[in-house]
Amino acid sequence: MSTNVTSIFNSFQDYLNTEQELREEIRTIVKEIEQSAREILMVLQNIHNENVSEENTIVSEHCTKARCLFEDVRKGYAKLAAVVPENQYYRFHEHWRFVTQRLCFLASLTIYLEVKILVHKDTVAELLGVKSNREEGFHLDLEDFLMGLLQLSSELCRFAVNSVTSGDYDRPIEISRFVNELNAGFRLLNLKNDSLRKRFDALKYDVKKIEEVVYDLSIRGLKPAVPPAPVDSK
Amino acid sequence: MSHSRGGSGGGRRNRGQYFGHKNSKILVGDKGREVLENINENSLVIKQFRVYAAELDSKHDRYEAVVKLSRDITIESKRIIFLLHTFDKESKRDAVLGEAKTRLDVLAKTLFKSIAQELDGQNPFQYLRAYTAGIQEYIEAVTFYQYLESNKLDDWKDLERSLIYVVPCEIKSTPWDGALEPAAYTSREIRTMLTPHEYILGIADLTGELMRKCISNLGSGDIASCFQTCNFVRSIYIGFLGCVGSSGKEINRKLYTLKQSLIKMENVCYTVKVRGSEIPKHMLADVAIGASNEYAAEDDEGYHPF
Repeated sequence: MSTNVTSIFNSFQDYLNTEQELREEIRTIVKEIEQSAREILMVLQNIHNENVSEENTIVSEHCTKARCLFEDVRKGYAKLAAVVPENQYYRFHEHWRFVTQRLCFLASLTIYLEVKILVHKDTVAELLGVKSNREEGFHLDLEDFLMGLLQLSSELCRFAVNSVTSGDYDRPIEISRFVNELNAGFRLLNLKNDSLRKRFDALKYDVKKIEEVVYDLSIRGLKPAVPPAPVDSK
Repeated sequence: MSHSRGGSGGGRRNRGQYFGHKNSKILVGDKGREVLENINENSLVIKQFRVYAAELDSKHDRYEAVVKLSRDITIESKRIIFLLHTFDKESKRDAVLGEAKTRLDVLAKTLFKSIAQELDGQNPFQYLRAYTAGIQEYIEAVTFYQYLESNKLDDWKDLERSLIYVVPCEIKSTPWDGALEPAAYTSREIRTMLTPHEYILGIADLTGELMRKCISNLGSGDIASCFQTCNFVRSIYIGFLGCVGSSGKEINRKLYTLKQSLIKMENVCYTVKVRGSEIPKHMLADVAIGASNEYAAEDDEGYHPF
């Protein structure tokens, strides 16, 4: 009778040990990815710098650098995909959830700087070297992606302020358009009372802040006469 | 929130917008809402978000459905456990065990099958949290039944096997009557995933029931099985000690409760041994429980026999 219990617990211990090892492996890989993410973040922080005169070239320079660094990220995710057993993505999701959100933000920022459009989930997935749909294997979780977009709005809010400081009065208006559209998009989602919802609630403050910037520009006549052309054709 | 931008904010907002009323500051009021509807239809962003919204909704709906099933499983499992507590006479034993068995089987064949169908083609780990409570309670009921019936426990592999269902491919959406017929044409397996974690947590809960059983056995004068149950719980406790630390918070918490139950049982056994001959059998239980005196109903994870 007690041997029966003992054998159950023995096999449970084996199970735990295997799981532990796997988690350890995952943690190591995630650390590497986090390192790359930090590097990308540092590169992209340069957009806030003052006296960015030739800003288009600068921006594309940063973006190119960031894109190079995404190469490492892709390698990291490839390793991760090899380690995580098929169909057990969500068993270990916690390990890479945070860094994935961060990378979605970085990817969406890069794309925004380059072409001024909201990135599609498929594009981010491609940039990270993961699949976009769950059925295809190691994928990008939708909620992680959306979290990344919400981080983007906060960053753009800062960017709007700093652009004005460095004398670029066009950009806040462009950012305002973009963030408003993002805001409208998020309104279509039925969010549950979860972390995504809480993060979404912060979006309105970003929107507000950006509007204040635009407002400051317009009452002082600093606002460019011709609004930037719509870029939704891309 | 969008309305708050309405009033005075409407005008300046409008500047940043790239189509529609380009240079006017006239539009106020429900401008905010209007923007929502205006931008929408031809915008790529909005189209994207419609897709995201659909995906999120379907996930949330499925999650809720599983939570509901899990709740039903919990209720029925608790009732079965309560039923198993009711027999104190050997004469009623077979009847009670038989009924419990039938009800457990029904549970596996209906509610668990619904979960399996709900999660068919999904990643079960994504929804594990939705049904973990239900499956733990079910494990508790099943193992309690097994203990009473044969003094041993099935391990999780056996139990998981009982949660595998064969369904014919074509009528995936029809409820469970399809699987009862022998699958003549193409069929496949669907299953409700049972992880060792859930199983072990269920076992931890089981010990609480065993403690209660031990006390009530004493009440009915069955001293032998009282000792036996105590030993059984002790071996479970030893098993838990082996995997503490590496297995997460929840197990550690349950281990604490488990230890309390075990100590209670050991004290009862002690009293029985020492004073057993002094006291008439029918009073033994009261004395023993009084001696172990830690028995307080509120500290054992709330047992509600509905």
